[in-house]
Amino acid sequence: MASCIYLESQVRHHPLAQKILERLRRLPVIEIEHFGEVFNPRAQNFRLQKKKPAIIIASKTKGHVLAAPEGYGLGGDYNYYFSHMLNCLYDCRYCFLQGMYRSAHQVLFVNYEDFGEQIRQIAATHRQEPVWFFSGYDCDSLANEPLTRFTEYFIPLVASIENAWMELRTKSTQVRSMLSREPVARVVTAFSFSDRFSHDSLEHGVPSIAKRIDAMRRLIDAGWPVGLRFDPVVYHENYELGFSELLEQVFAEIDADRLHSVSLGSFRLTRDHFHRVSRLYPDEPLFAQNMRLDNGIVSYPPDRERQMIEFCEAQLMKYIPGHTYHPCEWHD
Amino acid sequence: MLIWVAALHCEASPVIDFYRLKKSHRDKAFDLYLGDDMACIVSGVGKLASAAASAWIAARYRDEASLAWINIGTAGAARHDIGAIFLIDKIVDAETAKSYFPAPTSTPLLPGSACLTLAQPSRAYREDCLFDMEACGFISSALRFSSAELIRCIKVVSDNRHAETGRNREQVSALIRHHIESIERQATDLLALDDEVAALEFPAESWQRLLAMAHFTQTQQNRLRVLWRYLCNRNLGPEALLQELSTRKTAASMIETLERISYSDSETL
Repeated sequence: MASCIYLESQVRHHPLAQKILERLRRLPVIEIEHFGEVFNPRAQNFRLQKKKPAIIIASKTKGHVLAAPEGYGLGGDYNYYFSHMLNCLYDCRYCFLQGMYRSAHQVLFVNYEDFGEQIRQIAATHRQEPVWFFSGYDCDSLANEPLTRFTEYFIPLVASIENAWMELRTKSTQVRSMLSREPVARVVTAFSFSDRFSHDSLEHGVPSIAKRIDAMRRLIDAGWPVGLRFDPVVYHENYELGFSELLEQVFAEIDADRLHSVSLGSFRLTRDHFHRVSRLYPDEPLFAQNMRLDNGIVSYPPDRERQMIEFCEAQLMKYIPGHTYHPCEWHD
Repeated sequence: MLIWVAALHCEASPVIDFYRLKKSHRDKAFDLYLGDDMACIVSGVGKLASAAASAWIAARYRDEASLAWINIGTAGAARHDIGAIFLIDKIVDAETAKSYFPAPTSTPLLPGSACLTLAQPSRAYREDCLFDMEACGFISSALRFSSAELIRCIKVVSDNRHAETGRNREQVSALIRHHIESIERQATDLLALDDEVAALEFPAESWQRLLAMAHFTQTQQNRLRVLWRYLCNRNLGPEALLQELSTRKTAASMIETLERISYSDSETL
């Protein structure tokens, strides 16, 4: 439950805003002119706000759909991302969202129709080429599904555009809305996992590994394409044991041949994000580990990173067919 | 450290009495009352006075690891009863239309309201908010020293369309005193947050001793600060760490030692 709701006066009568307000009717509502009034001021403590963030109901006015950063994607030529929310319900210490914004409040954009219009336009410019739209870059795609009704709008939208593909990235188990509709072959739900040691220490508020595997299995059984994301892999003294156990646990439930894609990458953040998040959590062991700055990215020293990725890849290849594997490429 | 800011003595006195704060005879610019982990400053009327008092006391306590703030006072309201208490969730400067938002870290236990800060007293009651003469001065100043989660503004209605008690000092004190338990809960909550922020800082005394052990360049000091803050927060006592460093001759070797301890400690997540 959030601490309160900030409501942009211009979306007060938007149907989705009304539904969110109805669902959260016990929370105090504070009217604002623009979400930036609350979200952007400097004097905010992300760490304190994260204890019980507010929900900001707002309208996104520009930049609804953006070109994905280089290296982000699943091998397609045209990759875009969009965020119907800013910030995540969960509190994963390694996530770049920890230092991305000054505020920990969750912004819910309700003007899906404007996102939809841009998605249609972009897909049209690439005509018959497949175009990927990634959701879950600035948020978890499904974690707030009961409030945002994201799938209700965006899945039929993507299904109706012949060359559009969409990835939903999530750590949640909120798949009920997807299970209630016919599967769409061009909508891939990607579940992120870390080993149990990292999960216990770093993924605060995230559903258990077992529950997420179960959600994933139910989607596969219903015919939805599903992906696995082991990103970021975090170094710790038991990472080999942890990763091996995680794969065992996943593939005891999931048929690897039915996976759409699998990706793997080690922990890394841009220098700015790393500095911001390590200032927020100076007591966090993850940020006290041996790291190197290379080309603006803070990550493990090359030897350690190579060792980790080689080990994890070798373990992974025991389970999955090679063609589903997409390493996270971020080095030049 | 919690700082109370009130415009008038009659607004401050319930807090001063409840916490048994003692008047400071050393400070002349403003009337100031002190306790163990809190202070109450009487600013005088108006946003300028409130901003000046807040800045002044922040400077007085500049060595504190963290400051938390409560503006306590009375306000006018069109439709609320005399004596109703509110936790202000939006403060608007009537002169500039600029808005400020104290940030809640839990669902507020007191009813919320917006508050419009006026430059002059007024009887033009507005339906949608309270009004006062200090809140925006207070928060604009407090936000320079603390984050919005550590700033609260509590107002008790003293005037409405039917009655005006704001000029009666005893009644003003009585109105605020009536809510002292709710006000105390806000203060306790805020002090806990303040302690949490302060705990992330390392002891100033150990830091000074560390710096005195070698000549650290500014870049080395930056690295040292990160390492020292981490290790002090991991319950690796500063004394033991200083002892470990005492055999190192150079700044570089000290940093290397702390890095080694830090890397080793962080392998367990």
